[in-house]
Amino acid sequence: MPDLVLWAVLTVFAIDVVMLVGLIILKAVHRVRMRRDAERRTQYLTLLSRHLTYENAVDPIPSNAAEDEAFLDAVIDLRYTIAGSEIERLSEIATTYDLVSRQEGLLRKRFGGLRRLRAAVSLAELGNEASAPILMEHLDDSDDEIRVQSARGLARMGYTPAIDRIVGRLGEESDWVRARFGDALAEFGEDASAPLMAFVIVNHADGDTSAIVQAIRTLAAIGDYSVGPRIAQVLDLSSNPEVQIAAAGALGGVGGGFAIPSLIDALASSDWRVRAQAATSIGEVGLAENVDDLVASLRDRAWWVRRNSAAALVRLPGGVEALYRALSSVDPFARDAAAEALEDSGELAKAVTNHREQRATRDEARLLRHMRGSGVPGF
Amino acid sequence: MQAYLIFLGIRSALVLRNSWFLHRFGRFWEMLASDSTPPISIVIPAYNEAQGIVDSIRSMSIVRYPRFEIVVADDGSTDETLDRMIEAFDLEIVQIPYRPDIATAPIKAIYRGHSPVDITVVQKENGGRADALNAGVNAARYPYVLCTDADVILDADCLLASMRKVVEDRVRTVAVGGNIRPLNGSRVELGHLVEASVPKSMIPRMQSLEYVRTFLASRPAWSSLEALPLVSGAFGIWKRSAMVEVGGFTPGHFGEDMDLTMKLHRYHLEKGIPYRISYDPSAVIWTEVPETARVLRRQRIRWHRGLMSVVSDFRALTFKRRYGKLGIVTWPGMVLFEYLAPIVEFVGWIVIPTAFLLGALNTASLLALLALAFGIGLLNSLLALMLDEAFGYFNSPRDTSRLLVIALIENLGLRQMTVAWRIRAIFGGKSTMTWGNMERRGVGSLAD
Repeated sequence: MPDLVLWAVLTVFAIDVVMLVGLIILKAVHRVRMRRDAERRTQYLTLLSRHLTYENAVDPIPSNAAEDEAFLDAVIDLRYTIAGSEIERLSEIATTYDLVSRQEGLLRKRFGGLRRLRAAVSLAELGNEASAPILMEHLDDSDDEIRVQSARGLARMGYTPAIDRIVGRLGEESDWVRARFGDALAEFGEDASAPLMAFVIVNHADGDTSAIVQAIRTLAAIGDYSVGPRIAQVLDLSSNPEVQIAAAGALGGVGGGFAIPSLIDALASSDWRVRAQAATSIGEVGLAENVDDLVASLRDRAWWVRRNSAAALVRLPGGVEALYRALSSVDPFARDAAAEALEDSGELAKAVTNHREQRATRDEARLLRHMRGSGVPGF
Repeated sequence: MQAYLIFLGIRSALVLRNSWFLHRFGRFWEMLASDSTPPISIVIPAYNEAQGIVDSIRSMSIVRYPRFEIVVADDGSTDETLDRMIEAFDLEIVQIPYRPDIATAPIKAIYRGHSPVDITVVQKENGGRADALNAGVNAARYPYVLCTDADVILDADCLLASMRKVVEDRVRTVAVGGNIRPLNGSRVELGHLVEASVPKSMIPRMQSLEYVRTFLASRPAWSSLEALPLVSGAFGIWKRSAMVEVGGFTPGHFGEDMDLTMKLHRYHLEKGIPYRISYDPSAVIWTEVPETARVLRRQRIRWHRGLMSVVSDFRALTFKRRYGKLGIVTWPGMVLFEYLAPIVEFVGWIVIPTAFLLGALNTASLLALLALAFGIGLLNSLLALMLDEAFGYFNSPRDTSRLLVIALIENLGLRQMTVAWRIRAIFGGKSTMTWGNMERRGVGSLAD
């Protein structure tokens, strides 16, 4: 047998043995470490709770606690369960025991790898205002996830000087980071509305569509009524359907009669997605005077527009009656869309029950006739 | 071949390290509370699944995700599958328009529920799993669809984990695969996994190890190379519009999941459309695997027949630069190490003993070759088990020892058995072209 084969066999088996022993040790260490971490975290939680409750608590927190990840986990866990002055007290403890500065140090390391991410997450979770400058600095980090965590941390501590920087980066980020930046900006609330609106207005004509859409969605999530007219203006002026869809959607969320003229115009868009979104948003605004506009959209050539218009009618005062009337429309599309919306809104179930009890109204009888005539089994 | 698998394992280890860290610290719940998280339709094909369909849907309905619907495609069941769903979810026939973007067997009716579960049931004539999935995709309202099976249990965070890949890159991501793990031996209560355990019996235990090797030591590597050849049918998130473009699943195909994955690759590469097909190991689902050699044999023969069909359909991709890494690396690898592997291994069984009997190979060389094959196979399994440690499902010494035992003995008969079945698939002709039944025990009774 050639020596080479023998050496290969021996080498492979040596690696096998090393890996086998390594696996057993890894499993054992993992088990023990998980148990110990849980125990230490519980101890720290008890200790910290005492320090939050009694200002002069005598049980000392170990001076090197910041080096222990269990302490960090305990502080973060506790941060979610307390409020008011207790948060300030916990921040003091975190600062006193160098927890924040240690995480900052880790984040600053040039080759920290995943430890840097852990540090960024921890600083975001702690939400301690002392870390605002370093998180601002890391909004430009080369690592996506660290930028996300920095924005989240800044939003968590309500550090408003960060808003412009985060908004400014929307056009430079990947989808993932942009979406997370949107979440962070939404957490800032109405403070972020003006910068976001300015970003949309400046860029809507020739900027990155995804960034503008994200900015508009974030405005919708914030729900600031005061930016509504400006969003309506964007809907009027933009020729980009993606931007129009986002603007129409936001107008539904922000609400208000000022949105209606722009939404009615959008019902005539050449893009069915814009028309469908406009119909939904008109339903969300919820004004009785728009019943006729939506009834007209029941005859739209696109199924989604008919469907959304019918669903929107259910939300409008007098909309259900209009849907019953639409069952007699000469247009089969309008009849089907109306029947579906009446079914979804529970009107069909009511009609079936009333029919069984022989007290169905004329409208309900018409709905049941329509369902029978449609050939759907069961009617 | 084992060296190739070890290369994939090492590459996967690097990918998994990062993925594990992001899973732990990436805070998926940010997506849970975000308005930017896209909604998804969970599409389940059901054929004679009366035994477990209601529990499965209930278990799926409480998965952590901001907005999703469940679409069940009842593929002409002859048992009480539909009746049980009607009763459990207060279903009623509705007259919603159905978008037949992909051609399927005729639809009989569409039901929608009045319970808190957002469920739509498409009742259709029997057309097979792929056809039912296509019908479900047609009825789906949302832009992404999760195609799965009626007998799986979804991990609570699996949608958040996998959709993270979509949110990362919405424009390019057309499919995302997840990590499938055997459910046998685990404790399941009311359709939920309470405690994961390695099964006692040998056949499912061997599959536990196989699944760990496949989903942790191989797929992450392919995904990182952006040349993943397969998004498994048990858990695959697909961009609906992309699916429609390539015609959905191919009805009657034995490997419809791989076929669709490859169709998506080919379509995007040929049209020059940027895309990615991704995999997330932290998106975990649990499924029942065959308990007996007889059922496993049928399954493996079917899988290999599926692979053969795909290899035949996509042979033009092999070594074509036009198809990038897929054509140069992944696809030749699939042909060589998956499709032809059983033949190579089988030839080895004949050549080596023959050489030994004819005196061309002495006893020492024979033993050395066998030891080498055994040692490398073991190395591959140990690497996969180390990667599995990151997930921490099997922490008890009992589970660890069960997996180690199977890693040691699977090369002494079990592995050869699966090779023989795959050979049978290659040379068995039409007699092997059958789906067979997966004799399920039901998720409630899988603990040993």
